[in-house]
Parts: sequence; structure tokens; C-alpha cells
Amino acid sequence: MAVTSSLASFSSSTSPFTGSNFCTNQPHTSPSRVSFRPFRVSAACASTAERPTSYTATLTSESSLYEVLGIQMGATCKEIKTAYRGLARILHPDVAGNGQREGTAYEFIRVHEAYETLSDPEKRADYDRSLYRRGRQMGSPFSMSAATATTMAAGYAAAGFSGRTRQRWETDQCW
Amino acid sequence: MDEPQYTVASDSETTGEEKSSSAFAEIAIGIDIGTSQCSIAVWNGSQVELLKNTRNQKLMRSYVTFKDEVPSGGVSNQISHECEIFSGVAIFNMKRLIGRVDTDPVVHASKKLPFLVQTLDIGVRPFIAALVNNAWRSTTPEEVLAIFLVELRVMAELQLKKPIRNVVLTIPVSFSRFQLTRIERACAMAGLHILRLMPEPTAVALLYAQQQQQTVHENMGSGSEKNALIFNMGAGYCDVAVTATAGGVSQIKALAGAAIGGEDILQNMMQYLLPNSEGLFLNHRINEIKLLGLLRVATEDAIHRLSSQSSVQVDVDLGNGFKIYKVVTREEFEQVNLEVFEKCESLVTQCLRDSKVDLEDLTDVILVGGCSYIPKIRNVVMAVCKREELYKEINPLEAAVCGAALEGAVASGITDPFGSLDLLTIQVTPLGIGIRADGNSFVPIIPRNTTIPSRKELLFTTTHDNQTQALILVYEGEGTKVEENHLLGYFKIVGIPAAPKGIPEINVCMDIDASNVLRVFAGVVMPGTDQPPFMEVRMPTIDDGHGWCVEALNRTYGSTLDLVTVQKKM
Repeated sequence: MAVTSSLASFSSSTSPFTGSNFCTNQPHTSPSRVSFRPFRVSAACASTAERPTSYTATLTSESSLYEVLGIQMGATCKEIKTAYRGLARILHPDVAGNGQREGTAYEFIRVHEAYETLSDPEKRADYDRSLYRRGRQMGSPFSMSAATATTMAAGYAAAGFSGRTRQRWETDQCW
Repeated sequence: MDEPQYTVASDSETTGEEKSSSAFAEIAIGIDIGTSQCSIAVWNGSQVELLKNTRNQKLMRSYVTFKDEVPSGGVSNQISHECEIFSGVAIFNMKRLIGRVDTDPVVHASKKLPFLVQTLDIGVRPFIAALVNNAWRSTTPEEVLAIFLVELRVMAELQLKKPIRNVVLTIPVSFSRFQLTRIERACAMAGLHILRLMPEPTAVALLYAQQQQQTVHENMGSGSEKNALIFNMGAGYCDVAVTATAGGVSQIKALAGAAIGGEDILQNMMQYLLPNSEGLFLNHRINEIKLLGLLRVATEDAIHRLSSQSSVQVDVDLGNGFKIYKVVTREEFEQVNLEVFEKCESLVTQCLRDSKVDLEDLTDVILVGGCSYIPKIRNVVMAVCKREELYKEINPLEAAVCGAALEGAVASGITDPFGSLDLLTIQVTPLGIGIRADGNSFVPIIPRNTTIPSRKELLFTTTHDNQTQALILVYEGEGTKVEENHLLGYFKIVGIPAAPKGIPEINVCMDIDASNVLRVFAGVVMPGTDQPPFMEVRMPTIDDGHGWCVEALNRTYGSTLDLVTVQKKM
């Protein structure tokens, strides 16, 4: 599972996100990229494509916010921040090379929303409670039909986001 | 344009799309266009280097003179005496004027400047002119800025021996998106392509992030997170940012800013030194301009000296029988500028509150900009932050441009073998963006201090039975009423199915991408029906005369096309 492997790469002390490792890393075109972007490692293994499958593609719309950040439910605030920063270093559109790739902006938004909820003790408690009620669908204010969702996704796709990424993740935020 | 020195390369409205994708090969330079001074810096392969002009200056006065038909700016120009800048031939403070309409109080305050700023007070752009051969020759802030940028570009190209196209420009936090389009226009006129527009304190934050990364050499985010408050006050603007930094990532937590600065302090002091002079300068006669220029220079000098002395003597003969002989104490100075200092305090307080960072978690307080030398400003910021000391490892006048140059290198895809460029800034929107709904209320869809890129949506519904159209008015700002905010654009949604009021659901979605481009999507959400296509509108769409647009729309449509918010179902 991608989630498990990403978790390992963060919780282990041999995380590639050390100052010394950064020094040896080259930009996005060089082969050393693999070690610079640990999340892609797991994704790229499964894919032979030149551009590795994006990280959140391995997650479904049903993934919990913890899974989005690649952390365990009992993660400390520090771990949440560390995971968020690590993912930002990979997914933020300003990271060299991401500018041309579609969808990283969306992936970053998703990671940021997860971080925002989990780094706020009150929101996190609310979210944790909602996780237990997960069995039934959450009452969504955006109760759109499939046709609507497709229309909107098509509209948004024109803005540089892929239609596939139009998911119901906003409703997880209880806003 | 008549001037052969620059050509209009492209219209800003068409340049945004390529922002994030174009020209990664060449390095972007950092430019800090200050209200009073400007500077230019570039990553030289191992560190940031500030470029100097032929007179060995790293900080150049931001002005353009129109003396001899051919305009020339403060980069190349040799001014014989400072008063010459204030003789009417030079336009300066363009950053205070760009993108503002003539009902703006900042424009009104600029009417006391020695060049001509004429207002009609109807919500159109002011008339700005320089004195050329005893005639007021019109220009625009965009043109003045473009001339200046061309000089900077030529200077950089000569020194770096290669053409310069991409730039990272620092901007005030309080700039509206409309003002940003005017900055883009000026850059396009100068043949420059904006890779990033960086709010000034976030550029400083990036420099801070780099310094922390270099000194700490610690694992990313593992306990080395540092929160810093950055206070930046120059001649024209006051900006505050709170940033959380770890492992080279600068996460902006909150921004706050206002158009107050050294210029306000200067004008307050001029007023104090020469009271009842209000009407004196409004006719812009040659003698009066000269008098004003002398007063300006003397006052500026007094303010500078008051930073190190507790009192100064001002002794100046302005001509025309106006003489000033006065001792000004620091207490008087602080009293005269009380409002400015109070505003600074409220900006710091607001930014800290928005950032949700506790004072005890604040590692460093960083003061930059020309006004950071004023003891009262330092005391105010230290008092709010409950600090005895300020961060010392930063040059207050060069920090912003250094940060911009770092961002220029990072955004150009340059890497550094020692990891000095393993940096990332996570930006936030400084102002809320929303639409008019619930009568005249401003309903934010993307609130201020939202991390970008971002996408948020909100549901609205009709206010009349069988209302088939709705007007979407997009505003930016912090006021609860739309008239307190800045209009960005407007468009209409048609084809809403006839239904009782409150039934149709209209979804308005706002999207800010990584290049800070704002798009508004809007359309009817009606399951199972044949719906019209969604609207996608890139903002801002308005070009000029904001006040007029709203008045005309109100006159034509009244409240017939209004929307109200749909209460969230929890």
C-alpha cells in the first residue's frame, strides 16, 4: 500500500528529508529524483510511465485525512506538520517541474485541507467523531447529481485541473 | 508610445496563462520597486548579489524626470541637487498611485506632491503630469513605472551580459488584484515577464527561511519549526506577515497591510512645521513647488536625525517670506504621527491574531524597510510582540529584494549543490474574495489568509419568484459591505429555471491557481434538468472607473438580479 510505505518513509529516521541529502539532490530531470521524492517511489514502482503516477491517485475519495497526509490516527501535532511540509515539498505547484504537470495543485489543496483540519485540535476532534459515523454518507450540502458533477468537472478541467480529480473531498471539511 | 526606449511587448491580460510554465531555462531576477527606493538582485550561482548602478548605488531613488523631452529615471540619472526631484519635473511615489482612482484618499494625499495629481472625484484614474518646459505634460503611473523598469533592465543586462526577461517583483500586501494588473501592464510595457509577484514580507520570510536552514542544518520540520513576525514599512506601505519556517519551507500563516508609510509621516511633519499651508500648494505655481521642495528636503532630514537624536533644530528659509526656525523633539514627532503608529500597531495585532500563533511560540521579530529605523516603530512592534530584542541577521533595506532574487532562482528551476535553494514559500491570499449577496453584503468565498492554490465554493439562491437571471459582482477586500471593497468584475448567469424564490441553487466557485490567477466559476445546480453551461470568468475584468460600473448596474437592474446565500445544512 502506498499509504503504508509513505508512512514508513516519514516515521523512519532515515527519511530523505535531511539537509545533507538535499545537497546531493539534482533537479527534476536527474535520476536522483527518486530519492528526493519518496512518495513517488512507491507510486513509480507500480507504474512504468516516465512521469510517475501522482501521489493522491493512489488514494480514493473515501480516504481519510490521515491517509491523505500519510500518518496514523494518533499522530502528534509535530508529525502532522512534518508530513504536511514533506508533501508540500513534493506536491506544491512551485516545486520545479510541477508547474507543467496537471493536478499537483489539486493534490496540494487536498493535502492542505487535511492539514488544516488535523492541525486544529477542535476541527480534528470533530473530524475524528465524524470518522466513526463514516458508515452512512455524510449529509452533503453539494448533493449534485452525477450529471451535474460531470458538468462541473468538465468546467473545472478547463481551468487546468483534471476532471478525474473532481471529488467529494470538500464535504469532509464540514464547511 | 512616443518614447523609443521601450516597446509594448504584450498586454498583461494575455500573459497570465504562461506564468508558471514558461522559460525555466533562464534565471529570473528579483526587483524591489519601493515607493521611494528600488533595488535589483540576482542569484549569482552561490549567493544573492545586489546589482549596482554606474554610481555604485545598490539602492536607487524611484523617480523619473521628464526634463528634456526624453524621460530618464533614478537608475541612470545624475541629479545635481535633491531639490531638483521636487521641482515638478520628476514623478515619484508611483507605487502609491498605480491602480488607484481619484476618489481614493491615498490619491488625495498625493496632491501635495510637487508634480501634478489632478482629481475629479468621480471614480476614474487621476490625471498625473510632470512639468516640462513650463507645461504640465501628462503621463500615467504605469508609464512612469515602465520607464523605470526599462532602466533597471538595461542596467542588469549590461552587468549580467545577457538578456533579462523574467522577473520576480515584490508588491505591497494591500494591493488589490486590479492594482496587480496595472503592475503587470507596466512590466509588459517594459518587456518584462512576471514570474511571481511576491508580497514584500513574504520575500523577507523566504530569506529568513534560507538563513534558518543554513544555520540549523536540521531534519525537515523535526522540531525546528520557527515562527517569525515580519514587519515591513517603507515610504508608501506597511506590511506584516507571520511565517512558520522549517527545513526551507516558509509557510505564510497570515498577512496584513495598509497604504501607510514614511510618506504619511513626512506629510504630517511638513504640515506640523508649516501649518496653515494647505491651500498653498494646490495651485502648483513654480515658486510654490520650489518652496514645497525645500520644505520636503528639510523635513526628511529632520525625521532621519530624530531616529538617533531626541531633538533636532529645523532652520530653513523657504523663500517668499516663509521661514522655519523650530526645535522638534522626538515626543512631538511621535505625537504628530500618533495615528500612523496606531495603525502599525493594529496591523501587527491583526496579523498575529489571524495567524493563530501564540506570542510565546514566536521565535523572531523581524523589522525591515526604511521606517524600521524609527525608534517608535520598533517600540510599538516589540511591545505588541512582547519582545526585548529584534532579529539582527537581516539588512532592513535589502531583505525584500534578496528574497525576491531567491524566489526568482527557485521559480526558474535553479538548484544549488549546497542546498541553498531548497526553498518553498506557501503563500496566502492577503484579501478576501467574494460576491455581493444578501442585499449589499460582501459574502467572502475565499477568505483572507487562505493558502493558495485554493478552490472554494458556496451556494446561492434567487431572491425573486421565477428569477431566471442573476448578476454576479465579484469583490475583493475586508469590508462587510460591498462598497467598502474593491470591485474586480461582474457577469450574469442566465437560464435559471423558473421556480419560486429560494429554490434554484447557484454554485459560485473561486479558484486561485499557483500563479495567483483568479477564476470564478458560476452556474445553476439543478439535478435532472437540462442546465445551461457553467460560466468561467478570469478576474479582474474591469479596467477603470469602478464606481461608475456599480452605479450603472444599480441604476439598470436594481435588486432584480440579486442573490442570497443558502444556509449551510450541517
